[in-house]
Amino acid sequence: MRTDTLIEILARDAGPATRALAARRLAPAALVGFLASAAVAVAILGAIPATMFASHIPWTKIVYAGALALAAAWLTARLSRPAASVDGPRRVTLAVTVAMAAIGAASLWAEPAESRLPALLGSSWKTCPWSVLALSLPALVATLWAARGLAPTRPRAAGFAAGLLAGAIGAIGYSLHCPEAAIAFVAIWYTAGIVLAGALGAALGPLVLRW
Amino acid sequence: MNADTSPGDFESRLKPIWLRAQAGDAAAYRLCLDMLSARLRGFFKRRLAGLPDAVEDLVQETLLALHLRRGTYDPSLPVTAWVLAIARHKLVDLWRRRGRRDALHDPIDDVAEQLLAVAPEDGGARRDLDVLLRELPPAQHQAIALTKIEGLSVAEAAARTGASESAIKVQVHRGLKRLAALARRDDAT
Repeated sequence: MRTDTLIEILARDAGPATRALAARRLAPAALVGFLASAAVAVAILGAIPATMFASHIPWTKIVYAGALALAAAWLTARLSRPAASVDGPRRVTLAVTVAMAAIGAASLWAEPAESRLPALLGSSWKTCPWSVLALSLPALVATLWAARGLAPTRPRAAGFAAGLLAGAIGAIGYSLHCPEAAIAFVAIWYTAGIVLAGALGAALGPLVLRW
Repeated sequence: MNADTSPGDFESRLKPIWLRAQAGDAAAYRLCLDMLSARLRGFFKRRLAGLPDAVEDLVQETLLALHLRRGTYDPSLPVTAWVLAIARHKLVDLWRRRGRRDALHDPIDDVAEQLLAVAPEDGGARRDLDVLLRELPPAQHQAIALTKIEGLSVAEAAARTGASESAIKVQVHRGLKRLAALARRDDAT
């Protein structure tokens, strides 16, 4: 087939380009991932008591992971758009993480010295990052699928961003199960789980983000 | 078309037409694809000196990719920057498929990356998209053949096949996606 013929085929009845394509693909992926992680957290791991929702405990985690999810979604959208700058979303993603680390450090500072380590480790520090990673897997499949339908020209970076987004979504789900109260705990172990999901995304990116 | 003296000229000529194309003007879209294909050919020719028979294949693959992903174009960006990023991605993809890992380190970003050189279609494509079109599932092949090749409107194609208009559009889109995937796989063999 000659290229002229191909151009005829593509241009005929092409119609308008889809608007806000990144949001159209990423938003449903994030929603599906969230519903899956919340369902597993509540139905299999078991939900925290409803009275806990009157305290800051789940909300700190949800606000942190939610902010990180928005920043990572922005980053994923930019990395899925050829030639777009990623400076803005990269700065915001970093700022959210650093702000949470600073709040965590300050809250730890306010504790008496002997209760700092127990607050930092809680009762579940060994399992928390892995649970967050496990709960992020459905979201990771969905966000990688969404990014693949866009145009990521840097597959490793785009995979990392999609993984961070999935990790943050998994963390929101996990917060429905996790009873840990210390902000420093969230700043460290939740972040570790989210970064693990990002690393998995970065490893998968070059394999699956091909087009 | 050879009158451009600087990269900015091409961009400033292309962008208004491109924006009309994005809004649904098929004639403007055809013109953009024409303008871009001539320059993509020049771009790939300079970088595929050792693989001249791959040039036209890559032009066609890039046009398909541009078309399928044109929703990722952001009006705040230069059209040429967006097109070049996709063209470079296709070039790297080709090298990887051909197992030329060393070529991945070619300093493709160092060269003045503008789509300045216009090259007419000459050798033709090595891979024949007509053949690949026949490999599509029948519904997709038929939808593309009726609307894109026979030139029926979507409504006429819907009447002819008994499918709904939106089903025809979906089949055309899926068919082109499938065609792009088949083209990549075909190249690996």
